[in-house]
Amino acid sequence: MQFQLNFKSGKPVYLQLVDQVKSAAASGAVLPGEPLPSIRPLAELLRVNRNTVAKAYGELESQRVIETVAGKGCFIRETSSPFKKDARIKLLTEEVDQAVVQAHHLQVSKDDFLKLAADRFDAFAHKRTRAENS
Amino acid sequence: MMAMPPDVPVIDIQQLVRRYGRTDAVNGLTLRVPAGRCYGFFGRNGAGKTTTIKCLLNLLRPTSGTARLFGLDPGRDEVAVKSRLTYVPDQVAFYPWMTVRETLDYFASFRARWNADTERALLDQFRLETRQKTSHLSKGQRTQLALITAICPEPELLVLDEPTSGLDPIVRREFIQTVIGAYQDGDPGRRTVFVSTHLISEFEGLIDEFTIIEEGREVLTLAADAARERYQKIYARFASEPTELDLAGVQVLHRAGRELELVANGNSGAVLDRLKARSPEALTSESLTLEEIFVTTLQAGGATA
Repeated sequence: MQFQLNFKSGKPVYLQLVDQVKSAAASGAVLPGEPLPSIRPLAELLRVNRNTVAKAYGELESQRVIETVAGKGCFIRETSSPFKKDARIKLLTEEVDQAVVQAHHLQVSKDDFLKLAADRFDAFAHKRTRAENS
Repeated sequence: MMAMPPDVPVIDIQQLVRRYGRTDAVNGLTLRVPAGRCYGFFGRNGAGKTTTIKCLLNLLRPTSGTARLFGLDPGRDEVAVKSRLTYVPDQVAFYPWMTVRETLDYFASFRARWNADTERALLDQFRLETRQKTSHLSKGQRTQLALITAICPEPELLVLDEPTSGLDPIVRREFIQTVIGAYQDGDPGRRTVFVSTHLISEFEGLIDEFTIIEEGREVLTLAADAARERYQKIYARFASEPTELDLAGVQVLHRAGRELELVANGNSGAVLDRLKARSPEALTSESLTLEEIFVTTLQAGGATA
């Protein structure tokens, strides 16, 4: 998978890595069982501190997006959240709130917003299906 | 080897003063670097960076204040300190009559540890010919050789003083990748980097904490992520020129007619809210890079002084 770091985004670099892996997993760009690059070559390639990559992988592991196999590296897991459904929805609420606030300032209506959300769901599902069938 | 308790900072500088005649090159500097960090030491030419590093390496005695490495005094425990660190200066010099091979053997002879696998891998990577005389090496090749001599002993602390200035972009890139790969990979908790540079953008991804110094004094110390979150460049454009805009607590970079560009320092949320209340046509914000933070900090300091 490809990573794109942006030091101007204001988001900590390790979180950018976390979000990109999660996004790639959601879109099927990486599939369950597929490996992530090892820490050292990825740090060298992106020219970021080794600790930054290690921190990102640690975070992905604690969120159960990836698993570490001793001596083999890190692999994408089957989607499984340790939280109950209401806890998971609560986790998402904050992020949806941010998008809703942003929509308000950009004068995007509720209908357009909901349509956009539905479209994005379909887009990710479509990419995932294509990735799984290829 | 003596194990160091994890809470002892690798570098601990307290109220360091170093005077040359009547000039204070370093004037009350305090900073500490915990183990495992990659610490940036930023300042303009003449800000006191190299003098500070020379005090750490016992090449200069402090006029007053203390510099401690691994909890030890580099003046009193010079061998104990120097056996645990290596140093790449900005001007690299080797004995000109020695070959690359002889130079490496010479450096290795002073060291308790020398990783021959790393040496071989780096010689290959840099395509250095071991039978070449060091006097025939280019500036880039001399820096690469210095980096090999600094990494093979697997020191707990790697001190870099303007290591990439005057090098071409490819050599610079390889240099930084080598610090990340060959050096940091060994035992991350015991691999500390202290790098003085003004080519800050090159080291952006590597630095996790930094100190900016000016006139021998600390001006700003922050974690890199926190710094990028705190300093935001905000651009706003309005339908017509805004009047009575409250710009308290921001640094205005540019204001012309309907357009406004400013830097918020830790108050970007409040500043953005104030601007949003004026219904701008466009409003964007992005983090400053470490290099931009460096420039902003020194310019702001100059303006208030």
